[in-house]
Amino acid sequence: MTAFFQLLFQGIALGCIYALVALGFTVVYRASKVINFAQGSLLLVGAYLVSVLATGLNLPFVLAVIAAIALLAAGCAIFQMMVLQRVLGQPVFVLVMITIGLSIVIDAAIPAIFGGNARILGDPWGASAVHVGGVTFNWVRIWTVLCTALILALYFVFDRFSRYGLAMRATAADEEAALAVGVPVRRVYALTWAIAGGVAVVGGLFLAGFPGSVNPSLGNVSLRAFPAIILGGLDSPPGAVVGGITIGIVEVMASGYAPGWLGSDFSAVAPYVVMILVLLCRPYGLFGTRPVERV
Amino acid sequence: MTRLASLRRRLGARIGAKPAAVLAIAILAIVLPFGLDAFWLTTATFVLIAAIGALGLNVLTGYTGQISLGHAFFLAVGAYTAAVLGGTARLTAAIWLPAAGVVAALCGALVGPTALRLRGLYLAIVTIGLVFIGQHIWFNVAAISGGPGGRSFPPVTFGAFDFSPGQQLTLGGLVIDHNGLYYYLALIILAAAMLFIWNLVRGRPGRAMQAVRDREIAAAIMGVNLARTKMSAFVVSSFLAGVSGALYASYLSFATPGQWSLLLSVQYVAAIIVGGIGTVWGALLGSMVIFALPSVLQSLIPQSSSGGLPIDDISSIAYGLLIIVFFVLEPRGVVGLGARVASLWSRVAMRGGKGGGLSEETQPLERREATWAR
Amino acid sequence: MTASAAPMLEVRDLTLRFGSVTAFADLSFDVARGELFAVIGPNGAGKTSLFNVLSRAYVPTAGSVRFDGADLLRLRISALAGAGVARTFQNLGLFGELTALENVLIGRHHLMRSGTLRSGLWLGYARREERRHRAAAMEALEFTGIGHHAHAPTGTLPFGIQKRVEIARALAMEPKLMLLDEPVAGMSVSEREEITALVRRLHRERDLTLLLVEHDMGMVMRIAQRVLVLDFGRVIAIGTPAEVQRDERVIRAYLGEELEGDLAEVRR
Repeated sequence: MTAFFQLLFQGIALGCIYALVALGFTVVYRASKVINFAQGSLLLVGAYLVSVLATGLNLPFVLAVIAAIALLAAGCAIFQMMVLQRVLGQPVFVLVMITIGLSIVIDAAIPAIFGGNARILGDPWGASAVHVGGVTFNWVRIWTVLCTALILALYFVFDRFSRYGLAMRATAADEEAALAVGVPVRRVYALTWAIAGGVAVVGGLFLAGFPGSVNPSLGNVSLRAFPAIILGGLDSPPGAVVGGITIGIVEVMASGYAPGWLGSDFSAVAPYVVMILVLLCRPYGLFGTRPVERV
Repeated sequence: MTRLASLRRRLGARIGAKPAAVLAIAILAIVLPFGLDAFWLTTATFVLIAAIGALGLNVLTGYTGQISLGHAFFLAVGAYTAAVLGGTARLTAAIWLPAAGVVAALCGALVGPTALRLRGLYLAIVTIGLVFIGQHIWFNVAAISGGPGGRSFPPVTFGAFDFSPGQQLTLGGLVIDHNGLYYYLALIILAAAMLFIWNLVRGRPGRAMQAVRDREIAAAIMGVNLARTKMSAFVVSSFLAGVSGALYASYLSFATPGQWSLLLSVQYVAAIIVGGIGTVWGALLGSMVIFALPSVLQSLIPQSSSGGLPIDDISSIAYGLLIIVFFVLEPRGVVGLGARVASLWSRVAMRGGKGGGLSEETQPLERREATWAR
Repeated sequence: MTASAAPMLEVRDLTLRFGSVTAFADLSFDVARGELFAVIGPNGAGKTSLFNVLSRAYVPTAGSVRFDGADLLRLRISALAGAGVARTFQNLGLFGELTALENVLIGRHHLMRSGTLRSGLWLGYARREERRHRAAAMEALEFTGIGHHAHAPTGTLPFGIQKRVEIARALAMEPKLMLLDEPVAGMSVSEREEITALVRRLHRERDLTLLLVEHDMGMVMRIAQRVLVLDFGRVIAIGTPAEVQRDERVIRAYLGEELEGDLAEVRR
């Protein structure tokens, strides 16, 4: 039973990271119907930014994180304005291809600049932990859960109560109508990318935290976040959270309990197996909206 | 005058382009190997092999509108079918090459039904799952794939014809080496596949596919069976992917499970988008850009003056940047580029004449965009 | 009972609800063989929803539909064309990237047999079949007067021509029953006249039962043999154009002041 709770805690912590990745995806998708294939690469950039600021420039860790969030959010917004806004009005797949191009650039640039070896994050937690009834709660995981909860709360408050949150929801519902009533749609798109960049830093830093490290393969995690967004429904941020945590738990439980005949590292594909099973029952995810068929 | 124009257009439509252009391309493709060194001949061969798979994806995604990122899975199924039948069981390529297509097509037929329930990006992401589940199988079932370390793949042999490295064929004074043999084999298969697909998309099944892409429910009301149409798109697409994958692995002669990754799928999607969604020539054009670009970059970047940065990374960065720049500047892909060049050409050629002929060339693209924007 | 004795279409107690919204309720009517039957009603009266049920795009909440003596609601959507039901769409249901001829050929999809292999290999069977059906599709385009647009992609054609392509496509399906969804909506006066004449000719020269949904009172009153008036999803009148025009409830509940002018025009 102790082992179960240990895995459950780890699953929730991992699920929080997936939830952050998934949130980055859905925020952009909801506004512009673009699946941002570079989201995982942004995570990678986020982790390296924190590492460079904290260990290279010796900034206090909290300051390094805040600076990294600001830098990446700004970088993403600038990329959106300089590049993606030039192809506004083009078919969605053109924008998707550009995000794929961006992810190829980032995934190659990071090892080119920093080398293929792992580097340390510069975080204050390391392997420190508290033990409750035989279950180990690593501080980094506790902070993962807390920070994720905080960010999600902030996002939902922003989405629900701020002017720009309303603009984002209006754009999501109907871009043309939003334009017609004066919603600054272009600024909304830039904003969604800034949010995607900001949450990517947080996701990246916790992914790199104990027992991980900052290394070029961190970006792969975004591929495992796809089942999370599908489970939750592509256009549903709360769904992204539930989907993310579910997938995190599924993955960790599979690593603990999957029988050997399923092959080594089955936990890595378990989220996809679960996703396919869910989709066979609910084709638009657990929370997604079924588009109204027009005849 | 208009009747003549329409007749010419119809004739052109039957063959896919102006007959003279097709003939010119065919002759160029046949003599090309004699003008290339081994490096470029290898690149050209990989492009042709990839174009076979891209053609399949264009049937599924371009013509039927089912976005799939699972192409790498079907390529792998074809490759491992070839490995088991040609390598382990030592059968001739006359058996394993078609079998690679058939086994991949069977897998496509198993996956096809999910496309009936899922739309758009949901299907795309489920097919991503296919790639990962496939990779899990390849990594774990060493009997098929050789495990994480990879395995060797059989060279193409048809009875007396042996395409193994070091072999060559002498035809009336012309010597065709191992690379050339693969080149011509790929060229023949690609040409046959393009002809098949051309007939298909002009005929009853292809019309149904395009109707499903444009308006699914209206198509059903017209009597198009959605299940059967999507299913045949999946089967044709994965058949071509299987053949392409088998040839690819055979030409490489060695492959690891890690090679059948999502990136490979993404490259195929990029190829059909770059080349032209829902066009037969687009698969070849796009493959030329996407699969030859790494070689081009490799040859352009000097091996020594890279300032300590690995060549692979530099060419990847350039590759990604080119994709971004390309789509920002020319969102319609190579076909759009072609239309632009053609319109420039006719503007120059028709200076002083009436310029009404241009809209005919460019309009279909506008409409294509309109369809895809939905 | 022989099939030919039964009406072409028997609708009984048909009801369609989306959640708490009722599109229409308790519709019952017959369409006789060879009849030109019109359904009219203001916007939102449930006309197009009725068509969507009859073409199996929507599943009704209750009620039954018999077509040519058989239960229509048991047919799969894609089996409808084979059973003999064709329709046009109010906002066009054309496949924009295909040419007019190819669109019409989609209408003959259910009459053709060539599958993937036979078409891809372009065998003699597929070739002959294609040639035969192309001729039939051309004939349908000629009937609607747009044979010269056969090779133009439909997305580039003007709206009025696209409507004709739709009618040609429905005609090429060789149906027993054709559902026409607002064929003259959004057209100029002269185009309306032409389409009205075309619908008349369809009815007269082809062995067809026509069910017409229309907003244009003038057209309906001139060509329909019987008219059903819908208001808020309920039948308020059914009968010949003359009877319906005299019906107090129709005048009061639906025709209103603005349409009285139109009616006066028709009577003249």
